[in-house]
Amino acid sequence: MLALILMGVIALLLRNRLAKLLLYVFQVLYAGFAFYVFFQVKETGPIIWNTGGYTDGLALSLYADSIAIFMVLMTAVFYIAFLVYATREDYFEPRFQFLFMTLQGVMMGLFLSSDLFNIFVFLEVSTVVVAILIMFNKEKQAIYDGMIYFFVNVIGTAFLLFGIGMLYRTFGLLDIRAIKEAMSLLESPHAVVLPYGMMMVTVSLKTAVTPLFSWLPKAHGTPSAPPVVSAVLSGLYIKSGVYMFIRFNDMFSPVIDMHVFFFWIGFFTSLIGFIMALGQKDIKLILAYHTVSQIGLIMMGINMASEIAFWGAVYHIFNHAIFKSTLFLTAGMIYEEYGTRNVYQIRGLFKRMPWVAVATTFAILGITGAPFFNGSISKYMIAHGTYDYGVTILLNIINLGTTMSFVKYATMLFGNNPKEGRAKSDFFALSACVVMGIASFFTGIFGEGLTQFFFNYEVHVNVDEYIQKGMVYVLMIVAGVAFYHGIIKHGGLITRIGHAELTFNGIITAMAGYFIVVVVYLSLML
Amino acid sequence: MKPLDFITGEIVGILLFFIGLYGLMTKKTIVKTIMSMSIMESGIFLFYITINYTVGSVPPIGQAQEAAFVDPVPSALMITAIVIGIGVTAIGLTMFMHYKQKHGITHWSRNRDQTGSDH
Repeated sequence: MLALILMGVIALLLRNRLAKLLLYVFQVLYAGFAFYVFFQVKETGPIIWNTGGYTDGLALSLYADSIAIFMVLMTAVFYIAFLVYATREDYFEPRFQFLFMTLQGVMMGLFLSSDLFNIFVFLEVSTVVVAILIMFNKEKQAIYDGMIYFFVNVIGTAFLLFGIGMLYRTFGLLDIRAIKEAMSLLESPHAVVLPYGMMMVTVSLKTAVTPLFSWLPKAHGTPSAPPVVSAVLSGLYIKSGVYMFIRFNDMFSPVIDMHVFFFWIGFFTSLIGFIMALGQKDIKLILAYHTVSQIGLIMMGINMASEIAFWGAVYHIFNHAIFKSTLFLTAGMIYEEYGTRNVYQIRGLFKRMPWVAVATTFAILGITGAPFFNGSISKYMIAHGTYDYGVTILLNIINLGTTMSFVKYATMLFGNNPKEGRAKSDFFALSACVVMGIASFFTGIFGEGLTQFFFNYEVHVNVDEYIQKGMVYVLMIVAGVAFYHGIIKHGGLITRIGHAELTFNGIITAMAGYFIVVVVYLSLML
Repeated sequence: MKPLDFITGEIVGILLFFIGLYGLMTKKTIVKTIMSMSIMESGIFLFYITINYTVGSVPPIGQAQEAAFVDPVPSALMITAIVIGIGVTAIGLTMFMHYKQKHGITHWSRNRDQTGSDH
């Protein structure tokens, strides 16, 4: 983890071609090391590193269990693709490399750290790094968006710090696993209601659930941020929030069980995410709002209180990282080529940039959950978490929404080419996109094997049911096309909804309100 | 119990935190946002260093055993947190100064600049 930051510093100092080469070699080695640790965890169970020779629970420690190491592995492997993509871009200079690698190191820290205060420190550092990456081009809109991102997240982490303080006051401990053990000895659960509320505000802010997502499209879809930054933020960084959600809820699990509340929060996040996405015409903003929607789906899966849905959600984290990164990377190439981000003006992608179009198609099929693609497997697993008819309908509504707005997104692929001939694209960027796109196909086909491999969890996809889902999917595409031609094309109300957003003060007020709602709900429940 | 006993570090800390939050919710000036953020953080620092404090305890230095030791962990954490807080405030101010000098804007604007998305 530290090695990554060091590597960034070396890249900053060397400032030449050698540094770049070193960066790739290092990244590949690092991914290899992650694989090695992954296999170790798989064989021998969780690994714990304690600093300074103190006993476990008191020392600052790093802790790797199967989910943590899976996230680390995912980050390390995807970074290879991102680095390859960015090779020839102008912004890929030493300063950028330094920040980019630091962000990776900090993410690893977040995934592995078992100490609450360290998590706070990593969150602060990552906020600073991400804010600077967003405004790397120093454009007016980018600086404004970066500032909103920065302040909102700093205030959010202040909530976390306060929550940690209250926990420390009760338990005198900072280690997540130690607190979990101490939690069951509590006399009255009311002592942890406030810290729980505080910590959930931070985590919900980081995962961008319903009232608190307003910063996300600003940060991820800001017009001038480099595409590779958007891809990292949307594909990987946002997952650190989901991961913390899993961790913190596990920590509080002996006393507090909020899965019903967060299931509905997840549903509304999903719903609002795609409704807002329908109203956008900027391709980057469409993708950013879809991140909100997919995060909602993941939250639903995690909070269904069933094992298969939980692992389905974790697998969806992985899948979402693949296809959303691909979409952001290809979107970057598309708007550079066409000089516009307006989805209605980009046409004829298959004729102009065939390979990019292929990658985009694969990713779209993945995100909408087409049969044989990765999205379908994880959505299948999430849907299997329930036998309740109502919940199945909710899931289908979300899927329909996703399909609808990706029908709109897919109109870019067809139509007439405004200019004759094919565009020349950068080979490295292209290969990264295509590999990621194809990956979304293969992780779908080998979905059963992969979940077994990553999580030691066996899934058997029932063929009949799967075919049935396939039929539903075809119906949804038809419905999506119909909706697109009937309603969305004419704009009106949906466009207006899409442009509604909170101001800075609004976001903070939403945060305070969210805190009060969580605390009141909990006090009533306990 | 004297009336002033209510005013402990913890309670003042919590009050400061929410005063800061109120400032963040209502003020539209960016400088005031940064100030409210600092107030909020000071509240947290005060809360931490008075956690589990009993009157008459001594710092855990040396071998003296007459009185109870103060828990050193919160103070150690707060040194780190204060440093981070200073860094964050500095970065926030830098961003704001850059933004103001280039574009002359000192308030959070009502809506996103829609012209930026077409280019």
